[in-house]
This record gives sequence, C-alpha cells and structure tokens, in this order.
Amino acid sequence: MSAVADWQPRLVALVCNWCTYAGADMAGMARRTQAPNVRVVRLLCSGRIDPLIIVTAFEQGADGVIVSGCHPGDCHYVQGNLLARRRLTIFSELMDFLGLDRRRLQLAWVSASEGVKWSQVVDEATAAVREAGPLRGFGRPAAGAPPVRFPERPSAPRPAPAPGENEATATALRERAASLLGGGEVAVVAGYAAGSLPGQMVPTFVSDAAGTEVLDWNERCLANLSVYLPELLRRDGRVGMVVKSCDAKAVLGLVREHQIDRDRVVLIGVPCTGVRPDGRLAAKCYPCAEAVSPIADMTAGTAPAGPRAVAPDPRDAEIAALAALPADQRWDFWQGQLGRCLRCYACRAVCPLCYCETCVTDRNRPQWIPVSIDGAGNTAWNVARAMHLAGRCGDCDECARACPADIRLDLVNRRVASVLEARFDYRPERAATAPPPLLTFLPTDPDGFR
Amino acid sequence: MDGWRVSDEQLEGWLVSLLDGTRRVVAPVAEDGLTLFREVTSADEIRLATRHPRTRLPAKETLLPATEVLFSYRLEAGGVALEVPPQPSDQVVIGLRPCDAAGTARLDEVLLADSHYADRRRRTALVTVACTSAGPACFCTAVGGSPGGTEAADLQVVPLQGSWLVRPLTDQGTTLVAGSAEGWPEASDEDWMAAEGQRRAVEATITTEPIPSEWVRGLAERFDAPAWQALAERCLGCGLCAYVCPSCACFDISDAGGALCGSRCRTWDSCGFRQFTVHAGGYNPRPSHLARHRQRVLHKFAWFPLEHGALMCVGCGRCVELCPAGIDIRQSVVRVMSG
Repeated sequence: MSAVADWQPRLVALVCNWCTYAGADMAGMARRTQAPNVRVVRLLCSGRIDPLIIVTAFEQGADGVIVSGCHPGDCHYVQGNLLARRRLTIFSELMDFLGLDRRRLQLAWVSASEGVKWSQVVDEATAAVREAGPLRGFGRPAAGAPPVRFPERPSAPRPAPAPGENEATATALRERAASLLGGGEVAVVAGYAAGSLPGQMVPTFVSDAAGTEVLDWNERCLANLSVYLPELLRRDGRVGMVVKSCDAKAVLGLVREHQIDRDRVVLIGVPCTGVRPDGRLAAKCYPCAEAVSPIADMTAGTAPAGPRAVAPDPRDAEIAALAALPADQRWDFWQGQLGRCLRCYACRAVCPLCYCETCVTDRNRPQWIPVSIDGAGNTAWNVARAMHLAGRCGDCDECARACPADIRLDLVNRRVASVLEARFDYRPERAATAPPPLLTFLPTDPDGFR
Repeated sequence: MDGWRVSDEQLEGWLVSLLDGTRRVVAPVAEDGLTLFREVTSADEIRLATRHPRTRLPAKETLLPATEVLFSYRLEAGGVALEVPPQPSDQVVIGLRPCDAAGTARLDEVLLADSHYADRRRRTALVTVACTSAGPACFCTAVGGSPGGTEAADLQVVPLQGSWLVRPLTDQGTTLVAGSAEGWPEASDEDWMAAEGQRRAVEATITTEPIPSEWVRGLAERFDAPAWQALAERCLGCGLCAYVCPSCACFDISDAGGALCGSRCRTWDSCGFRQFTVHAGGYNPRPSHLARHRQRVLHKFAWFPLEHGALMCVGCGRCVELCPAGIDIRQSVVRVMSG
C-alpha cells in the first residue's frame, strides 16, 4: 500500500520554555539539520506537562512524543523538573504496561546551550518512531482482542471462616456499635447489612443503638465504606465505621490529604479472613497478613493469635504474563478492555480517594478527556484515573469490583503500585507517614531521561 | 399460530444463512469471561442457548450507540462543508431476552422522533430468545413483562428440550426465516403447550410482586416522602444504573474540534451524575443523591407511564445486580409506597 510506503512519523515535542525551547532555538540558529517530523509545543516547565497532554497528542495523531526540560538541578522553578521526573517515570511505565511501544515516548534533558543535543534527540526519536511504525489505533481491535492466557490462580492460602466465626464477629460488632451510639461517642455507624440479592451485603448506616440489629459480617462484605466518610462526617459530626485492613489504607490517605479528621472517626476493626466475592478468595487477600487493621480503634471480637498463612498476590503472575507479551499485543489486550468502558464512572464513584468536587473528566474548558465513549476517550479517562491515583491508591480494588464491564483496573493499579515501590520505595501503608510520592521528589531519584 | 419446531442443526443452518453478508448480525458472544452483544461473522460465536448467562449489558448500543457522530464540519475554501455519516446497513440482533426487546419498545417511545434512531430502528430486526430460567435479580413479571414475552420482537425462539420453537411475529420476522423455513416441520400443539408451560414455570420462580397500576399516581404523589432519604443514602452518584439499562434513553450532545474542523457527537448520559442537571451558572435543580435517585425511580415508574402508559422499567435486573452500592430499584418503589 502506498500509504504505508509514504508514511512519515509525526512527533510532538512538549518542551520547557527556559531550557529545551531555547536549546531548540539554538539548534536553529546554528543551522543544524534535523528531521522535520517534530512539532514543538512550548510549555512553561516540564513540571507542567500533565500526562493528559501527552495522551491527547497520541489521540490526535502523533506517532511519538518527546518530553524535554531543564537538567535536574537546573529548573527555572527550582523543582518542577524533579516532580516531572517522578511523574513521567510512572507515566511511561504505565503506558508501557498499556502496550504503548517504549520508542514512542522519549524523555530528554536539554539545556539552553545544548542545540547539538536537541538535534540529536530529534533525529534519534524520529528514527525510533519510524522503526516503531504508525501508532496502533485506539479502540477495540477489529479482530477482537487477543486471548491472553493468564496463569491458573493457586488455591487460597486460608480456608473460609469456620461455622460460627462470622456470627461471633457480627454479635461483637453489634455490641460495639450499640455502645458507641448509646454512649454518644458517634452519631452514626457505617457497616454492612444484608442486601436484596441472595448473599449480597450492602453498606448501611445506623444512627441509634436499636438499629444496630441489621449490622452483619461475613466474607461478602466487599464495599470499602471509607468512601462515605467525608459526607457522613459533614452530616453527622462523629462517625463509627466497620473497617477491613484493606479499607484502612484509604482512611490513611483521606487523613493525609486532610479530607477527614481522624479524631472524629472511630474505626471498628473486624477480624477478616478475606473477602470472597464469588466464593473464591479475592486476589488482594492472598498476601494480606493483617486479620485486623492495625489502625483500628477497637476490635469486634478477638483478633486471631499468631501470624496467618499468606501467599503471593496471584495478580502479580497475571501482570507478568501481560508484561511478557509484545507491546502491540498488550496494546490490543488493553484496547479490548478499555473499549468496553461505558464511562459510567463507577470506578471513580466507589474510590475513597476520588473525592474531587469536579473531576478532570467533567471539566470542558479545555476538554482534556474527550466525552466520546470510544477508544481514545476511554484511554484518556483510564490513564487519567490511574495517574491521579498513583501513590494515593489504597489498593482496595473497589474500582475493579464496581466496573460493570469487568475492566482489569486492579492490574493497572497494581502495576503502578509496583513501579512506585521499585523506583521510589513507596507502599500504600506508608500513607501514615509519607507524603504522596508524586507530590515530592529526591534529588537522587532514578532518572530514565537521556 | 405459525411456528416451526427445529433441531439444533436446522437452527444453526438458519443462523449461517443470516450471515450471508447482506446485513450486520449482532448476537451474544463470550468475551473475557463475559457474555456481550457483538457483531458476529460466524455462527459458532453465537451463544444463543439460555444456559449461557444473560448478556452483561443490553443491546441498546445497536440502536442508540454510546457515541454517535451526528455530523462533522470542515472549513473549506468555499465555506463550511457539512457531512452526515453514512446511514447504517440493515442489522439483525439475535438473542435478546424478552426484557431487552421490551426495553427497545421504551426507547422507541422516546427516540423514534429522531431521524438517526428511526432510520436504524427501521433497518433492525429483533430476534428474542425466551428465558428458560430467571436470575435472582429478574423481575420482568412485576413490570408487565414475561420470560416468554413477545413485545417488540420480530421473531421469537423458544428453547425446548433438545430443539427450538421458532415463531415469527412480524412480517420482518417472516422474511428473516423465509429461505430456511421451507423444510422445517410445523410446530405441534404439544410444542406450543410445552413453550407455554415453560413460560409459566419460569414466571413462577420470579417472586417480586407485580407493581399495581395505581402506584404510578401514588409514586408521583409521594415526591416528598421521607422514605427517599434512606434509599439514596448509599448512592455514590455514578451513572452505572442508566448505562446498563435497556430502556434508559438520556443522552448528551457535545461538540469536539475547533474552528477548522470538528464534529457534533451524541453520547449516553445518566441522571445519576451531578453534572446531568447542573446549570451554567452553577445552580443545580437536583443537587443531591436523593434528588437524582428519586428522579430515576420516578421517571421509570411515574413520569414515563403517566405519559406513555407502560412502565419505563422492564425488569431485567441489571441495575440491581451491578450497582456497586447495592441499591435495588424494586425496594425503592416498595419503600416509598409503604413508607
């Protein structure tokens, strides 16, 4: 096809005003020849390059994107490029996981005097993108996504609770809740009650001791109740909440981000053997070593003594299986998944850390995330969601549970979390003491820029 | 009554004949562990038998696409060039459950006035499969439907023991089987009775009480009932319930592009979103989860039936099953009426 033979890669360069733009200018003044495939967009600082700008470039037809700014230590705004370094490291790993060929996203530090380096960056990036070929389209592949064979999940490290265990916890829970409400310590207790479907447990809010009878506990108590905390606190002032250890990391996050006052929340820890949404132990429960959350203010019943059996998170093997695929196949897999996204935003609604009054996707001046419910818009939304939760996600998996299209958001979150741990030594538990990892930096952070 | 009793092979032969390239064929297929409506190119992909679960999402997308370009524009030397995307080809949607087809009838009430929808609808034939079992969230009989319902269907396929009862319901349905039906044996009285018995048996397993017709007015009068407060308490404000609903028809229109070129898009929208009603000046007439959940319930069970007769809920149970907060629209109706 002649269209392919005539194909020329299109690259967008997002560059900082103070260093790289001047460097590119220098290359021009020095009459250096360089590939003509790059359109330069000048921004004030590499720290202002939101991942959505990069996604938008790809959506609108770029085959490759160059991001460039001042060398570390040389930022016009002191630290913008050091924040950019962390953010873009996570972003490029995320995009690699989503199947974007690594050659398509080029990161470089170019100072105002490095005209020669700039022209080299342009030539090399253009050659690399030319080699990678035209960007694969957004949206569900016409031939369907490739079937990815995930490894069989190993059997659960722990058995389901013994008969009577749940009932004992539930009884203790009701007593705790009744005493908190009766004593006026809290005005409302958020817990779980039987829903209308067989076996279903749903969030419930109890405001008086007599009402605590509806509270119950079993391995179908899936919801992370901390999503309700800010609103309940606004309404009722003091709140008791039933907490599983996986939910507690979101509470830490809300405290860290000043969304709730920890002193007005009483956390009732439940001894949890793991949730079983469809009879099988949830993946997130395999490695969980904490029967009762260490930040709980009290325990309903008694925490089991001694350490308990854990196993590696089976999703790590699934992530490894995806990571082992060629990038194009991984792209097709994820475009197949994201192609199902309805943009119902259930993932956002159930997320305790998605508390923004107005979400970036609801902003329309400018409209960074296309409203169209199709490949490009769905990719932009899901990338934005993952990036905004990077280092803030408490790993409760509520987004993946809520998704009506079964998009593997849990794999996306977990991949981002594992990069954060590997590169920046950050884990969700550290929300108690450390700042969100993308809002800070170390001069010694690993550097993937050329 | 016209109908045939056909074997698995005859049914498959008919499905293959539909796939002769003259129309788009959409049917339930397996994808990543889900059953979803997709365009199919071979009969092997089609999961018609009701032992397969009901599709996770309805077939609404085939008539009201999640995103549809209404027109695109381009600035040219002589002025602005407008382009309306090419009209869709004929399509047949196979394997809808009776509730899904009833949902289409509700969409018709709202959307037939729109030329894009009307054109697609006219070129679409609906083939339903009668249900042989009901899920825990199914409640079609409570809202005027039936596991053997025929509303809006052009052709109905009833799974019987080891064979299928094929029953055209409209001229379009008759045309669909015209080439294949010549060799098919007529269905006997026993076959019809078996289908009827099956329908009753499935109906008997649906325990949700039928919604009395006087509740339509009753609900409308209970706009300010205190019961709403507790019902909406755990709503998280996502748009899932509307997006998985076969009869929700609300949409948004937005322009994408710039001065030189762009397009006007219609996308699904949901009354569950805060943004659905927020005004440019910031005022929001439905400012709370309560107001938005009430709107959803009343639109389906009061406003729409007051205007069009039928309830706007077809009892497929998808919103009940998939709501991440466990909200059950059946309970909402009952509690408001009893509270």
